[in-house]
Amino acid sequence: MHLPPPRLGHPQLGLGVGLRTAHFAHILREWPAVDWFEIISENFIDSQGRPRYVLEQIAERYPVVMHGVSLSIGSIDRLDFDYLAKLKSLARHVNARWISDHLCWTGVAGKNTHDLLPVPLNEETLAHVVERIRIVQEVLERPLVLENPSSYVTFAASTMPEWEFLSRMSAEADCGLLLDVNNVYVSGVNHDFDPVEYIEALPHERVVQCHLAGHTNCGTHCIDTHDGEVIDPVWKLYARAHRLTGGVSTLLEWDAKIPPFDVVHAEVLKAKRWVEVRSAECGTGSDAIAHSNGVQIDPTASPSRIARTSIQVDRFVVHDRPQSGRLGSHASVSNPVAFLVGDVE
Amino acid sequence: MTDEPPLSLDAFQRWMQKVIMHPGGVVAGAETVEAGLAIESVVTRSRALSSFERLDIYNRSYFARLLECMQAEYSVLATAIGEELFDSFALGYLQQHPSQSYTLAELGERFPDYLAATRPVDGGVGDEGDWPEFLIDLARLERTINVVFDGPGTEGESLLDRERLMAIQPDHWAESRLECVPCLKLLPLSYPINDYFTAVRRGDQPDLPARAPAWLAITRRDFRVYRYPLVATQFHLLHALLNGETVGSAIEQAAATSPVPEDQFAADLRDWFFQWTTAGFFRDVRLTDRGHDG
Ligand SMILES: [Fe+2]
Repeated sequence: MHLPPPRLGHPQLGLGVGLRTAHFAHILREWPAVDWFEIISENFIDSQGRPRYVLEQIAERYPVVMHGVSLSIGSIDRLDFDYLAKLKSLARHVNARWISDHLCWTGVAGKNTHDLLPVPLNEETLAHVVERIRIVQEVLERPLVLENPSSYVTFAASTMPEWEFLSRMSAEADCGLLLDVNNVYVSGVNHDFDPVEYIEALPHERVVQCHLAGHTNCGTHCIDTHDGEVIDPVWKLYARAHRLTGGVSTLLEWDAKIPPFDVVHAEVLKAKRWVEVRSAECGTGSDAIAHSNGVQIDPTASPSRIARTSIQVDRFVVHDRPQSGRLGSHASVSNPVAFLVGDVE
Repeated sequence: MTDEPPLSLDAFQRWMQKVIMHPGGVVAGAETVEAGLAIESVVTRSRALSSFERLDIYNRSYFARLLECMQAEYSVLATAIGEELFDSFALGYLQQHPSQSYTLAELGERFPDYLAATRPVDGGVGDEGDWPEFLIDLARLERTINVVFDGPGTEGESLLDRERLMAIQPDHWAESRLECVPCLKLLPLSYPINDYFTAVRRGDQPDLPARAPAWLAITRRDFRVYRYPLVATQFHLLHALLNGETVGSAIEQAAATSPVPEDQFAADLRDWFFQWTTAGFFRDVRLTDRGHDG
C-alpha cells in the first residue's frame, strides 16, 4: 500500500492563528511574531478592497493557508468550477501552503445554508466524496486537505464510524486530513463516542494540520462556537494527536467574542506547554516538543498606509466599513462558517 | 432505527435541507416533504437528545446565523427599527431569497429591493408618514457602502489631478469625457439620511429627518469609503458623466435643474469639478474626436 510522506510532505508551520478582520489593524501595526495565518478563503477570493490588500501584506511576511467553507464536497450538486478557479488563483497569488475545507455538504439544489452539514457515513457517500476530491485535486493541482466537522446529528443510513470514513477517504482519494481536535471532542459528546479511540484510529501520516478552538457545553450536547479558550480535555487530546502525528501545523480558531490579538495568540502558544506535559507523562524525549518556527518579522517594515488615522476632507464625511461583519455566536449557533468581510479600526 | 430502506444521498440531502430551512421548525419542515419521512427514521438519537432535538439544532442555527449576518450588513437599519422588526423583515427576505452563493457577501444583496417590493402600499400610518422609504434608503446606503468597500478601487493608481484638469483647453472641455473611478456610486434618496446614518454609527439616537429628496455620492480612496452629500444639480451632472456623456452634455442637463443664476452656476461648476477631482472621482479625461488630451 502506498504510504505517503508525513503531512503529505507539507512543512510543519508551527503555531498559527486564524486571520480575522477584528485583528487587521493590530497585525499591520505590530507584525506579531506568530508562526502562520489561516484565512477563510471565501472572504478573500472576490475581494478587491481592503481585505485583499491586508492579506497581500500578511502573505509577504507569514506563511498563509487557505481554509474554505463552501466547497461542499459531500453535496450531490455539481462542483462549482468557477469557485475552484478562484481558490486556485488566490492560492497562487498568496503562495498558500495548502487548501483545506470540510467533510460536509453546505446545501443542495443551488442553495447554500452556510452551515457545515454532516453526511451519512456509508459506501455511497464515500464513493461520491472520493470521486469529487479527485476532481478537485486535479483542478487545484494539489492535494486537498479535509477537516472533520463538528456535528449534532448521526444518521440511520451510516454504516461506519467517522474515523473509518476519513481513513478510507484519505487513502482512496490520496488527500490530506485536517484534524480538528475540538470537533472530535464536541462530536464525541454529541454522539457518545470516545474521542481517544477516534484520534488513535486515524491515519496519522495523512494529518497535515490540527485545529483547536473553544466550544459551548449545553449539558446535553456541545456546540462548536469558537468563542473562548480551549478546554483542558481538548488540550489533552491535542497532546495525544501531537505524539501520534509527530507534530503538525497547529491553528487556533476564535470566531465569536473575539478578544485582542495577543489573547488569541497566547492561547495557541499554550500548545507548547501541553505537549511538554504530555511528553513527560509518556516518557518521550524533547523531540515531541512543539515546533515553533519563528517567522522572521522585519520590525522596520513600513507601517501600512491604511493604518493612518482618518482623513477629514472639508465638509465631507469619511468612514470605514461600518459593520462588525462576522458571524457571531448565539448560545446555540455553531460558528464554523465564513463572515462578511468586516470592520476596521 | 426503522425497517425503511436508507435514503439515497440525493434524497437525504433534499430532505434534510427542506427540514432545516423550514421557518416553522423541523417538525413542520418534515411534514412538507412529499415522502413524509419521520425524523427518527433518518436521524438517530443520542443518549441525551432525541432525533428531533438534534436536528432542531441545525434549524435554529440556520436562521440565527443568517439573521446575524443580515444584522451585521444592515446594522444602522437594524438599530433604526429595532432588532425584532428587522429580524421579521430579514426572515421574510431569507425565505424569498435563500443564499445561492459560496460567499455571505452576497447574502443581503437583494434586501433593499425586497424591502421596496414588499413595502405597504399606503406608505405607513400616522406621524411616521411614508417611513418605508426611509428604511429602503438606509438599506440602499448600507449595501452600497459594502459594495464600494470590497469592490474594484483605484488604490495605487494615479488619478486625474488638478493640474491636468486645469490644462485642458477651454475649447476642448465641452467635448471631453471624464472617466469616473469604478468605485464611484450615486444614490438618489427620499430622505436626507446622511447625518442620521453618521449619528447612529456614532452610537447616538438621532431624530428621524423630515422627508426631502437628497443625493449622495459614495466612493473609496486608500481603502476607506467616503460619503459626499450632493445637491440635485450635482447629482444630475455626475450621473451624466458616469453614463459616459461629454462634459458639455452633462453640464447642459445639470443646468436645466439648476436653481441659481447662470454666472453663479458657472462659478459653482468650477468649484465642483475641482472638489471632485481632489476627492478622486475621476480617473482620466478623454478628448473626443477633435483635439487630444490637454
Ligand atoms: Fe475547525
